[in-house]
Amino acid sequence: MRARDIDKENLVKKTAIEIIGKGGFEHFSINKLAKACGISVATLYIYYKDKEDLLSSLATELGRKMGDAMLKDFDPESSFEAGLRQQWLNRYHYMIENQSISLFFEQVRTSSYQEQFLKAFAEDLKNVFGKFMDNIVARGEINAMPLEVYWSVAFAPLYALIKFNNEGQSLGGKPFKLTDEMFWQAFDLVVKALRR
Amino acid sequence: MENFDHILLFKTDIRSESDKMNLQPVLDTHDCIENWNVDLDDEDYVLRVISHQLKHHQIIELINKYGYECHELK
Repeated sequence: MRARDIDKENLVKKTAIEIIGKGGFEHFSINKLAKACGISVATLYIYYKDKEDLLSSLATELGRKMGDAMLKDFDPESSFEAGLRQQWLNRYHYMIENQSISLFFEQVRTSSYQEQFLKAFAEDLKNVFGKFMDNIVARGEINAMPLEVYWSVAFAPLYALIKFNNEGQSLGGKPFKLTDEMFWQAFDLVVKALRR
Repeated sequence: MENFDHILLFKTDIRSESDKMNLQPVLDTHDCIENWNVDLDDEDYVLRVISHQLKHHQIIELINKYGYECHELK
């Protein structure tokens, strides 16, 4: 008799995220995952039907977790600056605490698992963040603009800084660590750029 | 404690969709097999059978009869 073991299950998920983050989906297999985890192949096939099953359940779970993290303490009725501040904090904390996950997500974006991944959180986020955007435009805090333009200005600077931080280096290989001061400096500039 | 004795796992040489299709009629219609699949993405081409009645050796005999290798995955 085999028992479902939570520690083992978490190890499996963590290792799968690392392997895929490094090498993509193509060369991933349950055999390789089992070896990397030091558990038997059979054990993994108790948990999961096949590679497809494992990856789609992983994409769904991570999508849900990321959605929850992004919505934490966020109020769509808040002012532009307060709302954006919360979103920056949520995204920052999530990506610092889950460093190996961002590489995994980059793989997901260009794979057939993207749909499952998005389905797990896209609807909630779209509703809440859509409402926030409508509110801040209606109140005249920012101008109406295509979502992509808003997103690029609002978040790309944050993601660039987090990427430098997580890779430990910035332009031309210069060692880099993101400080609170830099974080808020970039945030203030973004607010200034978007606010009417 | 959950019991997984009804999940039977095998290492096989069922390497392609067409191999899988050769076995599909017999596995799909078998009264004692509730569900089955082969992971074609894995180097062991793992056959996973859900059955509360059958034992490993019975599946092995069945798969061998159709010309495929089949060993219990331990």
